[in-house]
Parts: sequence; C-alpha cells; structure tokens
Amino acid sequence: MKRINIKGNHFVLHPSGVVFWEETKTLLLADVHLGKVAHFRKNGIAVPRKAEGAFYQKITTLLEAFEVKRFLFLGDLFHSFKNNEWLLFSAWVQRQKAAMLLVEGNHDVIPATQFEQLGITVVDHWEEDAFYFSHYPTTSEDRFVFCGHLHPGVRLKGKGLQQLKMPCFFQSPQQLILPAFGAFTGLHILSPKEEDRVFVTTGKEVMEI
Amino acid sequence: MTTVRQWFAAQGWRAQAFQKECWKAYGEGKNGMLHAPTGSGKTYALWGGILQEALKIKKHPSGVQALWITPLRALAVEIQQATQRMTTDLHPDFKVALRTGDTSQSERAKQKRKPSFGLVTTPESLHVQLSTKEHQKNFQYLKVIVVDEWHELLGTKRGVQMELAIAYLRCFLPHVKVWGISATLGNKDLAREILLGPIENYVTVNAQIKKKIKVKSILPKNMESFPWRGHLGMHLLPQVLKLVQKNTTTLIFTNTRAQCEIWFHRLLEADPNLAGSIAMHHGSIDKKIRLWVEEALREENLKVVVCTSSLDLGVDFSPVENCIQIGSPKGVGRFIQRAGRSGHRPKAGSTIHFLPTHAMELIESVALQRGIEEQQIEDRIPFINSYDVLLQFLMTLAVGSGFQPKTLFPIIQKTFCFQTLNEERWQWLLNFLVHGSQSLEHYDEYKKVTVLEDGTLKVVNKGIAMRHRLSMGTIVSDATLKIRYQKGGYLGSVEEWFVAKLNPGDVFTFSGRNLELIRMQNMEVIVRKSKSKKSRIPAWMGGRMSFSAHLSDLLKKALFEDRNQTTPEFKALAPVFYQQQRESIIPKPNQFLIERFETKEGFHTVFYPFEGYAIHEAMASLMAYRISLLSPITFSMSFNDYGFELLSDQPFSKEEFLDNGLLTHEYLHEDLEKSINVSEMARRRFRDIAVISGLVFQGFPNKPIKSKHLQSGAQLFYDVFKDYEPDNLLYLQALEETFDHGMEHGRMTQVFENIAAQEIVWRDCSQPTPFSFPLITDRIRAKLSSESVEDRIKKMYLQLEKAGQ
Repeated sequence: MKRINIKGNHFVLHPSGVVFWEETKTLLLADVHLGKVAHFRKNGIAVPRKAEGAFYQKITTLLEAFEVKRFLFLGDLFHSFKNNEWLLFSAWVQRQKAAMLLVEGNHDVIPATQFEQLGITVVDHWEEDAFYFSHYPTTSEDRFVFCGHLHPGVRLKGKGLQQLKMPCFFQSPQQLILPAFGAFTGLHILSPKEEDRVFVTTGKEVMEI
Repeated sequence: MTTVRQWFAAQGWRAQAFQKECWKAYGEGKNGMLHAPTGSGKTYALWGGILQEALKIKKHPSGVQALWITPLRALAVEIQQATQRMTTDLHPDFKVALRTGDTSQSERAKQKRKPSFGLVTTPESLHVQLSTKEHQKNFQYLKVIVVDEWHELLGTKRGVQMELAIAYLRCFLPHVKVWGISATLGNKDLAREILLGPIENYVTVNAQIKKKIKVKSILPKNMESFPWRGHLGMHLLPQVLKLVQKNTTTLIFTNTRAQCEIWFHRLLEADPNLAGSIAMHHGSIDKKIRLWVEEALREENLKVVVCTSSLDLGVDFSPVENCIQIGSPKGVGRFIQRAGRSGHRPKAGSTIHFLPTHAMELIESVALQRGIEEQQIEDRIPFINSYDVLLQFLMTLAVGSGFQPKTLFPIIQKTFCFQTLNEERWQWLLNFLVHGSQSLEHYDEYKKVTVLEDGTLKVVNKGIAMRHRLSMGTIVSDATLKIRYQKGGYLGSVEEWFVAKLNPGDVFTFSGRNLELIRMQNMEVIVRKSKSKKSRIPAWMGGRMSFSAHLSDLLKKALFEDRNQTTPEFKALAPVFYQQQRESIIPKPNQFLIERFETKEGFHTVFYPFEGYAIHEAMASLMAYRISLLSPITFSMSFNDYGFELLSDQPFSKEEFLDNGLLTHEYLHEDLEKSINVSEMARRRFRDIAVISGLVFQGFPNKPIKSKHLQSGAQLFYDVFKDYEPDNLLYLQALEETFDHGMEHGRMTQVFENIAAQEIVWRDCSQPTPFSFPLITDRIRAKLSSESVEDRIKKMYLQLEKAGQ
C-alpha cells in the first residue's frame, strides 16, 4: 500500500488497484467490467466463470481492510447489456450498507434507471471538494481529476535488457488514472513524462517507480 | 474410345514408370502414396488412374466422384486446368470444378445444382462443405480423395484437419480410396500412415527422378568488410545485380516479407532499367497482382522476381534459369525445393546461389551442399492431440447436420492425431462445447452447442453458427487491413499493429511502392502514391524458422571436415576464424564452447550447441533456470541457430556453474517444465490455439465495430486460464505443443546426452567474439528470473533513475 497526499487529502493506493479516500471514507474503483465474462459466455466463448467471481472475493477483502462509507465507481462498471451477472451484482449491492455512486463510462450501456433502482446514483461526472471524478481522462480548471478508462500499465526496463509490463496508478500533475479492477481486462501501455509519478502494482505491493 | 496411354502418346509424351505404376495400382482399387517432385508429371499419374476407371463405367450418377485437395489456392487453379484438359479430351461430358475461398456465391450455387465429376479444393474449403446440412448427400458418390503436396500439410494443423475430414468421410463412404502425393521426406512411412490411416490395402510409389543441384555461394571481393551480423545481405547487392543481368529470368528467395520489400526496392534503385521487368511476390500482396506475376513469369516477361515462400510450391515456371537464396533456408528440404524452381523441366539440372547475410552463414552454405550431396531430407513432425482443431471440427459438424457423440468418438480415435484420446477427455471436450465448463452452475447463460432430444449435438443459435463459419481454418494471422488506393484498386494487406503506428501523411513501402497514408476506414487503409524518398517498411509477424536437426548435424560436421578447408567459403572466412581463435576457440566435435565477456550492457555468457533456434530457446530457459536456483538472478536471453546467450546484470561464477554439473541430462523434463512455465513459449503457442478453438473471434469482415464487445486478445485468455482454470485442456495443449514442437523434446534429450560426452571449454574473453556477435546484437529477447517481481522492480527503478539523470 502507498499513502499519498493530494490537495491536503489522503489517498491510499491499494495493490488490488483501488484508491481509498481517507477523509470521506470513499473507495474508488475503475473499470470493473462486470458481466464481461458472462457476456462472452452467452455468446459461446468459454471464459472461466471464476474470473468474474474474483470481483466479490477481492471486494470482501477490501471491506475488511477499510471502513468504507461510500463506493465511487469510475465508469465501465458493467461491460455490456444485462445478463445474469446483473442478478448476482444486484444481490451483492443489496447486502451493502455503503452508498454507491457511478460515473458513467463508455461500456455502461445499461440505462441509468436500472442502476438507480438498486440505489446507485448515476452521474456523468462528480465534483467534490478540490476533486473531479470522471471516467475519461480530462482536465479541470481548479480541481484534481481521478479517472479510469485507459487500464494504464507501464513497461519497465532493467539492466540486461529486461522488460516487464505492469498495471499501474498513473499520476500527472492534475490527474490520477486508476488501473482496471476487473480480472478479464487488458493493459494499455503509457509512457511517463518527466513530471509524472508512476505507482506499479503487483497485486501484492504498490511501488513507486 | 481413347485410353490414357493413347492420350499421352497423342501429346507426344512418354509415360514414366511411376505414372504407369500409379495407373495400375489405382485400377486394382488400391490406396497409395506417391513420392514425386513438383513438375514431374505427378498430377497425371493420379488423374490418369481416376479417369481410366471412370471410363469403364457407362452410367454416371450426378455427384462429385473425385476430390482433389491442394494446400494453396494458386495451386488449385493449376490443378483444375491440368485435370480439365485431360478430362475434356477423354470424356467431354465430365467437368472438374474449383472450390476455394475465392469461389463466388453464384459459382457455389451452380456447383450445388449441377455437381461436377471432379472437385479441386483446399482443406479449409472441404471443411466448409462439411458444415452444410447436405454434405452426406453431396458426397455420396465420392470414390477417391487425393491429397496433393501432403508434405506441406503434414506437420501443420491443416494436416490434422485433413486427418479428421478423411476419417469422417470414410465412416459413411467405407469404399472411398485415399491417395497422397508428397515430395521426399525423412519419415515417409509415418507420413503415409497418418494420411491413409490404419489400412492394409496400399502401395507406395517412388518417382526415380534425380535432379542435379549445384550450389554456389555469393562471396564479396574483400572479406574484411563482411559483416559479422545482419539479415539483409545488402552488401552483396552488386554481385546479385550482375547475376540478374546475366540471366533471362531470376527468382530471389527471401525469408521474410519485409526483406522481400527491401530487396525489391534496392534492386530497382541500383538499376532503374529494371523497371517493368522486376516484380515482387509475397503472401500479403493482393491475389490479382500475385496471379499476374505468376503469369508474367511463365510468359518470360519478367527478368527478376523477389519472393518469399509464397513461390516455394507447385506452379510450374519453366523459364526460370537462376535462383538466389538470401540468408539461411533453415533446412535441406526447403533449399532443394527452392533450387528446384530453376530448370523446372524434367531432367534439367538446377543451380541455386546462396547469399550469406553474415559471416556464420557461409559455414551453413557448405553444410547445405553436403546435405544435398547426401540427400538428407528432414522429417516432418505431426501434431498430436490438437484439441483446438478437434473442437473446431466438432463445431463444424454441429453447425451442419449435428453429430452423435457415441458414433463420432470411435471415428476420431482412428486418426493418428487423436489415437490416445480417452473417454474422459472426450467428455471434457463435449462439456466445453455444451456448458463452457466442466460443471453446471447457477446463473450461467453459456450458449454454444445444444443437446437435442435424441442426443444429437447441434448449434441452434444463428449468430454462433455464423461466427463459426467465418472463422473456420487453422491458419492464424494477425488482424490484417486491406490497402486500397483512394481512387480504387487493392494492393494487398498489412497487419493492424503496423498501421496503428502510422499517422496520416506518413509514408510506407508496400509492394515496391511508396505510399502515403490518407486514413483508415472500415478495416481498409486508404493510400495514395508518394514521391517521398523516406519511408518505413512494414514488418509482418511470422513464425521464426529454426534449423532442422539434419542441418545442425551437417553444420557441426562442416566446421571440421578437412575437405571443407579448401572451399571458397572457408577461404573467405579465414579472417573471421582468425579473430575467433585469437579471443576464443573454434570448438571441435568433442568440445562444448562457453564464452564469457562483459560489456556496458552487462555480463554475457554465450553457449554454442549449434542445434537450431528452437532447441536453443528452450536450452537457454533451462540453463537460466538452473543457474537461478543457485542464487537469485535475472537473465535476459537471446538465441539464434548457432547458440544462445544469457545476459545478466551480475555475473554467475564459472566454478559454481561447472562444479554443479548444470549441463546434465538428468531431471531434464522436470526442469524444462519449470523453466518454460515462466517463459513465454506456451503463451505464444496459445495464440493460435485460442483462435482455432474459437475463443478469440477475429471479427466480421468489414464490420469492425459490432463485434467489438466480443473481441479480446489471446493473451488475456491465457492469463485467465492460468489463474482460474489451469486444468483447461486448451491451456495444457499449449504446454504440450511447446514441448513437442517448440522444443522437440526427444531431440532435446539427445542433445544433452551428447553434451555429457563432450569436453566443456569455458573461455573468458576480453571482448565479444565473431561467433557471439549476431547473438548479443539481437534485440528480440526473452527473460527468466528467480527474483521476486517486487525485487526486480526495485532494481529497475534504480536503473530508470540513472537513465533520467
């Protein structure tokens, strides 16, 4: 885990790929892509179902680690149209006490009303304190941006021509991009600039490069 | 009525012994295998027999009687023309039709209405025909299946496709005859057994045609300037140009499409007079252009054609006088095949020029010459337990008339590929198709194959059936985009990842032209001609060929045989050998050489087994793994056909390495399994498996957006299986294939047993040696590490910071 300070607030970068905002007890998750496995399976492509179940296991561990008052999903919560995964997800939502907020992403094709029936607030973007939450990377005049969408990763080089591709939290001066939380998602390799900070996650540890 | 013999006489030909032998055996109702080189008259050897038998029968039913399978579409056209010619003369009512991926819808409909006597097709098209509901009816009068160029199919998954199709057709056509035509192979008997199946009633016919093949190396005037590394061989351009000008027609064989583009470009640049009489031929160039090139070659309108393996096969080009091979052909069989492209008339001799792209390849030239002298031709290793191909085949039957698992199982078991398939794995495959897993789970909406009331497995969902039909086949390539002029006219196709790197306005070279990218639209790359001199050459992903076992034996021998010392190649190599011996040694047959030196990149340890790329790749992983057991260390590895290199940021000690006997053949399999688990070999293998088995859908033609929600990379599947379903048969297949084909496991054991009998020579060198040079400059690398990811990242972090200062 890594604790960073942005505009006087404290954020914990967790190896699972989430960010915990301590001041508001909010858990930020990007690109969960729930239902992706189910969608593939419905179309005759046999992705192991366990890959989807991983979401619930991971989130249970997180709820033990943090005192979560609110979930803030940074888009692409659901990969595709409704399928049975939706039923499992609804059942999970109903068991949660924390509030839920969804910033819509490009994959979220399920109508907002359906999310709202579950008690999830759906917004195009969200502003709070000095922060701006969006699915797509963007800029805000005076606020710091948290976003997802890219599934960021970096390529590391070492002596002996070693190479490694790892998912990461990608921080530029006014923005932090979260890695994808979902199991069946890919990586998009970014090249950091001088002023960027890169926090690689191995699943066990978060390390700043 | 004319007989086949009379027809031969009327053409002014004399039937050769092997042709007569085939006609006779065919008349006796035998199955068989004919070994004959291209251009020897092998087509008529079989078609003659087929027609002869047909002529004896008065009344013919309306249906296909003879099926002729060829590996290439271009070849299919040739065969159709040749067989039709003979047929028209002997039985004017009979037609031979052509059915490939290029056949139009209307032509297909016509074939359905009025089936012809003969049908020339490809393995893929045959499977498409098996995916129709009426296939049993359509093939009910089938008498013979001929599989042409079997050596090209054997050892590939298309070969497995043929095995399955034949076994399946045989089950409802018990009397169908099967014949194969193949070039000479190392493992002839196995090749026959795989194609014909476990039957008694067969003959093997050998065409006794020996061609004289002369090999000449192209040597520079001055060896001092000969590069130690490289793969282009451009320094020998003047010599090539001279050869081109001297001959009427020259074929230049390159190993990759990018090499082909570059050579074309540079030849034209060096001699602008060639414009109009120079052409290029490779697999990505549009079919129309390729056909035009082939036609022009035949009519002697071209002076030189730069090509890849796309011109290896079939198609007769009698006018070709001269062949040039750029870089290593990787095997004796392939080299002979290419040499055979010149002087393509029976009994005419062939000459092939070998152009070494770096110094080490000169030794190879000598080895190849010895191989040809001794007629040492490679084996082709067949695939076994290719579950991906079987799953595809089961889907093919399921989208057609459906299948009964109980009846089909014994048929599948009769094939060579699936002879060890057991009940349990068969059930796994069926579960995979029906449930998408091995256990039924709540809420699961998996939908692919449905079990009907009578137990038939069938696809009922139209979308799934259509996706399957579009993705049938076992040749996997990266997503390609068609290249089109703005004003119209297709030039060919290029892989998506190359175009992704270009911006509008960028210029690249394709098919010998400089093209400016205007935009991408609907899976097409729209371009216009450009006058710009600067341009990029597209790279195509393709398998990297490895030395065959034969060639590596030949190579090792070539280094020491006394008679080679006086060859022009070895004389030319003298300065290289001198430099090698000053720093290190030239290993003798009883020596195993290891070199160690340091550069700014780190510590290089180079091993020289001379066993070919594939073996070295596995050996490198294995050695790296064993060394890393001694202490945590991370290696990056490179390999070529001569040896492999382990590069690390810290040295491992010579004494520790030698004292621990890390070159032992004990625990070979166990260690390999552990070392390749962390390597990339299986992952690469999995890519094809994912596509063939239908996990990765490559999208509808011209409809890139709609299927996007269903597209995902094979890499992602590999990771998900590894993490969540490690007993998945397709995942296991990737590992098994890596052992059998990637590393040729049997050969590997042999290699280590040989090393046990050798003296190990470790040399600490002050600088890189000539032998090591191609290795240490190779940028395509794999890695192996025993350090934890976290530790490695910490080191990398240090490195990055240094680079930033």
